[in-house]
Amino acid sequence: MPRSVWKGPFVDGFMLKKAEKTRASGRINEVIKIWSRRSTVLPQFVGLTFGVYNGKKHVPVSITEDMIGHKFGEFAPTRSFSSHGGDKKAVKAKG
Amino acid sequence: MASVLRTIMILLGRIVGAHGIKGEVLIHSFADEPGNIGSYGALSDKSGTRTFKLRVLRMTPKGAIVARITGIADRNAAEALKGVELYVARDKLPEPDEDEFYYADLVGLAAVAPDGAHIGEIIAVQNYGAGDLIEIRITGRKETELVPFADRFVPQVDLKSRKVVVVMPVSAADDKEQSDR
Repeated sequence: MPRSVWKGPFVDGFMLKKAEKTRASGRINEVIKIWSRRSTVLPQFVGLTFGVYNGKKHVPVSITEDMIGHKFGEFAPTRSFSSHGGDKKAVKAKG
Repeated sequence: MASVLRTIMILLGRIVGAHGIKGEVLIHSFADEPGNIGSYGALSDKSGTRTFKLRVLRMTPKGAIVARITGIADRNAAEALKGVELYVARDKLPEPDEDEFYYADLVGLAAVAPDGAHIGEIIAVQNYGAGDLIEIRITGRKETELVPFADRFVPQVDLKSRKVVVVMPVSAADDKEQSDR
Protein backbone atom coordinates (compact mmCIF):
# COMPACT_ATOMS: atom_id res chain seq x y z
CA MET A 1 0.00 0.00 0.00
CA PRO A 2 1.48 3.39 -0.96
CA ARG A 3 2.36 5.65 1.93
CA SER A 4 0.01 8.39 0.75
CA VAL A 5 -2.96 6.05 1.00
CA TRP A 6 -2.47 4.82 4.54
CA LYS A 7 -1.68 8.33 5.78
CA GLY A 8 -4.83 9.77 4.30
CA PRO A 9 -5.21 13.18 2.68
CA PHE A 10 -3.31 16.06 4.22
CA VAL A 11 -5.25 19.08 5.38
CA ASP A 12 -4.23 21.81 7.81
CA GLY A 13 -6.33 21.42 10.95
CA PHE A 14 -7.60 24.98 11.07
CA MET A 15 -9.19 24.56 7.64
CA LEU A 16 -11.73 22.16 9.06
CA LYS A 17 -12.53 24.54 11.91
CA LYS A 18 -12.95 27.49 9.54
CA ALA A 19 -15.18 25.50 7.19
CA GLU A 20 -17.32 24.29 10.06
CA LYS A 21 -17.67 27.78 11.48
CA THR A 22 -18.67 29.29 8.14
CA ARG A 23 -21.15 26.55 7.38
CA ALA A 24 -22.75 27.00 10.79
CA SER A 25 -23.07 30.77 10.27
CA GLY A 26 -25.01 30.23 7.03
CA ARG A 27 -23.48 33.27 5.32
CA ILE A 28 -23.26 32.03 1.76
CA ASN A 29 -21.42 35.03 0.32
CA GLU A 30 -18.58 34.60 2.76
CA VAL A 31 -15.13 33.85 1.38
CA ILE A 32 -12.81 31.97 3.72
CA LYS A 33 -9.35 33.39 3.21
CA ILE A 34 -6.65 30.75 3.38
CA TRP A 35 -2.93 30.63 2.82
CA SER A 36 -2.74 26.84 2.94
CA ARG A 37 -2.31 25.94 -0.72
CA ARG A 38 -1.02 22.52 0.29
CA SER A 39 -4.24 21.32 1.88
CA THR A 40 -6.37 18.76 0.10
CA VAL A 41 -9.98 19.55 -0.82
CA LEU A 42 -12.21 17.37 1.34
CA PRO A 43 -15.89 16.48 0.81
CA GLN A 44 -16.94 18.71 3.74
CA PHE A 45 -15.68 21.78 1.84
CA VAL A 46 -18.12 21.34 -1.06
CA GLY A 47 -20.39 24.36 -1.48
CA LEU A 48 -18.06 26.76 0.34
CA THR A 49 -15.97 29.48 -1.26
CA PHE A 50 -12.32 29.81 -0.27
CA GLY A 51 -10.02 32.70 -1.06
CA VAL A 52 -6.78 30.91 -1.89
CA TYR A 53 -3.69 33.08 -1.62
CA ASN A 54 -1.54 33.16 -4.76
CA GLY A 55 1.24 35.30 -3.33
CA LYS A 56 -0.48 38.55 -4.19
CA LYS A 57 -4.19 38.24 -3.61
CA HIS A 58 -6.82 35.74 -2.58
CA VAL A 59 -8.39 34.01 -5.57
CA PRO A 60 -11.99 32.94 -4.87
CA VAL A 61 -12.49 29.22 -5.41
CA SER A 62 -16.00 27.80 -5.13
CA ILE A 63 -15.60 24.17 -4.18
CA THR A 64 -17.48 21.55 -6.18
CA GLU A 65 -17.44 17.77 -5.99
CA ASP A 66 -15.07 17.52 -8.94
CA MET A 67 -12.32 19.22 -6.93
CA ILE A 68 -12.23 16.68 -4.11
CA GLY A 69 -8.76 15.20 -3.77
CA HIS A 70 -7.00 18.10 -5.47
CA LYS A 71 -4.92 20.67 -3.58
CA PHE A 72 -6.25 24.19 -3.10
CA GLY A 73 -3.16 25.63 -4.75
CA GLU A 74 -4.05 24.04 -8.05
CA PHE A 75 -6.90 26.52 -8.49
CA ALA A 76 -4.96 29.72 -7.77
CA PRO A 77 -1.97 30.00 -10.10
CA THR A 78 0.96 32.03 -8.83
CA ARG A 79 1.97 33.28 -12.25
CA SER A 80 -0.42 35.42 -14.19
CA PHE A 81 -1.11 34.67 -17.81
CA SER A 82 -3.77 36.45 -19.76
CA SER A 83 -4.83 35.72 -23.27
CA HIS A 84 -7.39 37.20 -25.60
CA GLY A 85 -10.90 35.96 -24.94
CA GLY A 86 -11.67 35.08 -28.55
CA ASP A 87 -14.93 33.16 -28.71
CA LYS A 88 -14.61 31.75 -25.19
CA LYS A 89 -17.78 31.62 -23.13
CA ALA A 90 -18.23 32.09 -19.40
CA VAL A 91 -20.80 29.80 -17.83
CA LYS A 92 -22.71 31.20 -14.88
CA ALA A 93 -22.60 28.66 -12.08
CA LYS A 94 -25.79 27.83 -10.21
CA GLY A 95 -25.96 28.44 -6.50
CA MET B 1 -29.30 43.25 -29.07
CA ALA B 2 -27.83 42.18 -32.37
CA SER B 3 -27.64 45.77 -33.60
CA VAL B 4 -25.75 46.76 -30.45
CA LEU B 5 -23.30 43.91 -30.90
CA ARG B 6 -22.87 44.29 -34.66
CA THR B 7 -19.98 46.72 -34.53
CA ILE B 8 -17.98 44.81 -31.91
CA MET B 9 -15.00 43.05 -33.44
CA ILE B 10 -13.47 40.11 -31.61
CA LEU B 11 -9.82 39.15 -32.00
CA LEU B 12 -9.73 35.48 -32.94
CA GLY B 13 -6.12 34.98 -33.94
CA ARG B 14 -2.85 36.33 -35.22
CA ILE B 15 -0.79 35.26 -38.21
CA VAL B 16 2.64 34.44 -36.82
CA GLY B 17 4.46 33.37 -39.96
CA ALA B 18 4.60 31.42 -43.17
CA HIS B 19 4.68 27.64 -43.41
CA GLY B 20 6.21 25.86 -46.36
CA ILE B 21 6.48 27.25 -49.88
CA LYS B 22 2.89 26.95 -51.02
CA GLY B 23 1.52 30.01 -49.26
CA GLU B 24 0.33 28.36 -46.07
CA VAL B 25 0.36 30.46 -42.90
CA LEU B 26 0.83 29.69 -39.22
CA ILE B 27 -1.86 31.17 -37.00
CA HIS B 28 -1.92 31.59 -33.24
CA SER B 29 -5.60 30.98 -32.49
CA PHE B 30 -7.41 32.55 -29.53
CA ALA B 31 -10.57 30.54 -30.20
CA ASP B 32 -11.89 28.21 -27.50
CA GLU B 33 -11.28 25.31 -29.87
CA PRO B 34 -8.28 26.52 -31.91
CA GLY B 35 -9.47 24.79 -35.08
CA ASN B 36 -12.75 26.73 -35.00
CA ILE B 37 -11.02 29.87 -36.20
CA GLY B 38 -12.08 29.10 -39.74
CA SER B 39 -15.70 28.29 -38.94
CA TYR B 40 -17.04 31.85 -38.66
CA GLY B 41 -16.64 32.79 -42.33
CA ALA B 42 -14.23 35.37 -43.63
CA LEU B 43 -12.13 37.18 -41.02
CA SER B 44 -10.87 40.71 -41.35
CA ASP B 45 -7.96 42.78 -40.14
CA LYS B 46 -8.26 45.39 -37.43
CA SER B 47 -9.35 48.17 -39.73
CA GLY B 48 -11.83 45.92 -41.52
CA THR B 49 -10.45 46.84 -44.94
CA ARG B 50 -8.97 43.42 -45.78
CA THR B 51 -10.80 40.15 -45.46
CA PHE B 52 -9.26 36.69 -45.22
CA LYS B 53 -11.03 33.48 -46.10
CA LEU B 54 -9.32 30.69 -44.16
CA ARG B 55 -9.17 26.98 -44.69
CA VAL B 56 -7.72 25.25 -41.65
CA LEU B 57 -5.44 22.38 -42.68
CA ARG B 58 -4.00 21.01 -39.44
CA MET B 59 -2.60 21.85 -36.05
CA THR B 60 1.11 21.75 -35.23
CA PRO B 61 2.40 19.91 -32.15
CA LYS B 62 2.95 23.30 -30.48
CA GLY B 63 -0.69 24.24 -30.98
CA ALA B 64 -0.44 26.65 -33.91
CA ILE B 65 -2.87 26.34 -36.79
CA VAL B 66 -1.64 25.75 -40.34
CA ALA B 67 -4.10 27.33 -42.74
CA ARG B 68 -4.43 28.37 -46.32
CA ILE B 69 -5.81 31.80 -47.19
CA THR B 70 -7.66 32.36 -50.42
CA GLY B 71 -5.51 34.42 -52.78
CA ILE B 72 -2.20 33.61 -51.04
CA ALA B 73 -0.28 31.23 -53.26
CA ASP B 74 3.40 31.55 -52.36
CA ARG B 75 5.66 31.96 -49.37
CA ASN B 76 6.49 35.61 -50.04
CA ALA B 77 2.82 36.56 -49.92
CA ALA B 78 2.36 34.48 -46.78
CA GLU B 79 5.34 36.12 -45.06
CA ALA B 80 3.93 39.54 -45.85
CA LEU B 81 0.94 38.70 -43.65
CA LYS B 82 3.05 38.04 -40.56
CA GLY B 83 1.65 39.99 -37.61
CA VAL B 84 -1.82 40.52 -39.09
CA GLU B 85 -4.54 40.13 -36.49
CA LEU B 86 -7.71 38.33 -37.51
CA TYR B 87 -11.02 39.68 -36.28
CA VAL B 88 -14.59 38.47 -36.53
CA ALA B 89 -17.74 40.53 -36.08
CA ARG B 90 -19.57 39.66 -32.86
CA ASP B 91 -22.83 39.04 -34.69
CA LYS B 92 -21.23 36.22 -36.69
CA LEU B 93 -20.78 34.16 -33.54
CA PRO B 94 -23.66 31.84 -32.62
CA GLU B 95 -25.88 32.99 -29.78
CA PRO B 96 -24.75 31.41 -26.50
CA ASP B 97 -27.03 29.24 -24.39
CA GLU B 98 -28.85 30.50 -21.35
CA ASP B 99 -26.42 31.39 -18.56
CA GLU B 100 -23.56 31.47 -21.06
CA PHE B 101 -21.88 34.70 -22.03
CA TYR B 102 -19.04 35.44 -24.39
CA TYR B 103 -16.03 36.92 -22.62
CA ALA B 104 -16.17 39.74 -25.14
CA ASP B 105 -19.73 40.60 -24.07
CA LEU B 106 -18.84 40.75 -20.38
CA VAL B 107 -15.66 42.80 -20.61
CA GLY B 108 -16.42 46.48 -20.31
CA LEU B 109 -19.72 46.09 -18.47
CA ALA B 110 -20.32 48.21 -15.40
CA ALA B 111 -20.49 46.40 -12.08
CA VAL B 112 -23.15 47.75 -9.75
CA ALA B 113 -24.24 46.73 -6.27
CA PRO B 114 -27.80 45.40 -5.71
CA ASP B 115 -28.77 48.88 -4.40
CA GLY B 116 -27.54 50.46 -7.66
CA ALA B 117 -24.27 51.87 -6.35
CA HIS B 118 -21.47 51.84 -8.89
CA ILE B 119 -18.67 49.40 -8.00
CA GLY B 120 -16.41 49.41 -11.03
CA GLU B 121 -15.88 47.86 -14.43
CA ILE B 122 -15.26 44.31 -15.62
CA ILE B 123 -11.82 44.27 -17.22
CA ALA B 124 -11.34 40.53 -17.81
CA VAL B 125 -12.75 37.08 -17.31
CA GLN B 126 -10.43 34.44 -15.87
CA ASN B 127 -10.72 30.71 -15.43
CA TYR B 128 -8.13 28.90 -13.35
CA GLY B 129 -9.95 25.56 -13.40
CA ALA B 130 -12.47 26.29 -10.67
CA GLY B 131 -15.11 28.09 -12.69
CA ASP B 132 -15.17 31.48 -14.32
CA LEU B 133 -14.14 34.58 -12.39
CA ILE B 134 -14.88 38.14 -13.40
CA GLU B 135 -12.12 40.61 -12.70
CA ILE B 136 -13.46 43.98 -11.61
CA ARG B 137 -11.47 47.19 -11.42
CA ILE B 138 -12.94 48.98 -8.45
CA THR B 139 -13.58 52.66 -9.12
CA GLY B 140 -10.87 54.81 -7.54
CA ARG B 141 -8.60 51.90 -6.76
CA LYS B 142 -5.61 50.52 -8.64
CA GLU B 143 -6.01 46.86 -7.74
CA THR B 144 -8.67 44.53 -9.07
CA GLU B 145 -11.03 42.09 -7.38
CA LEU B 146 -11.95 38.62 -8.59
CA VAL B 147 -15.56 37.56 -8.15
CA PRO B 148 -16.90 34.06 -8.93
CA PHE B 149 -19.27 34.11 -11.90
CA ALA B 150 -22.06 32.38 -9.99
CA ASP B 151 -25.69 33.22 -9.23
CA ARG B 152 -25.08 34.15 -5.63
CA PHE B 153 -22.32 36.64 -6.48
CA VAL B 154 -23.58 37.81 -9.88
CA PRO B 155 -27.38 37.55 -9.72
CA GLN B 156 -28.08 39.59 -12.84
CA VAL B 157 -26.33 40.23 -16.15
CA ASP B 158 -27.96 42.86 -18.34
CA LEU B 159 -26.19 43.14 -21.68
CA LYS B 160 -28.66 45.71 -23.03
CA SER B 161 -28.01 48.24 -20.29
CA ARG B 162 -24.37 47.05 -20.13
CA LYS B 163 -24.26 46.34 -16.43
CA VAL B 164 -24.00 43.40 -14.06
CA VAL B 165 -25.32 43.30 -10.53
CA VAL B 166 -22.54 42.08 -8.25
CA VAL B 167 -22.76 41.02 -4.62
CA MET B 168 -19.17 41.49 -3.52
CA PRO B 169 -17.82 38.55 -1.51
CA VAL B 170 -17.25 39.29 2.16
CA SER B 171 -14.37 37.86 4.14
CA ALA B 172 -14.84 35.61 7.13
CA ALA B 173 -14.36 37.42 10.44
CA ASP B 174 -11.41 35.36 11.63
CA ASP B 175 -9.33 35.77 8.49
CA LYS B 176 -6.65 37.84 10.15
CA GLU B 177 -5.67 35.09 12.58
CA GLN B 178 -2.00 34.59 11.83
CA SER B 179 -1.88 31.20 13.50
CA ASP B 180 -3.59 29.59 10.56
CA ARG B 181 -0.90 30.40 8.03
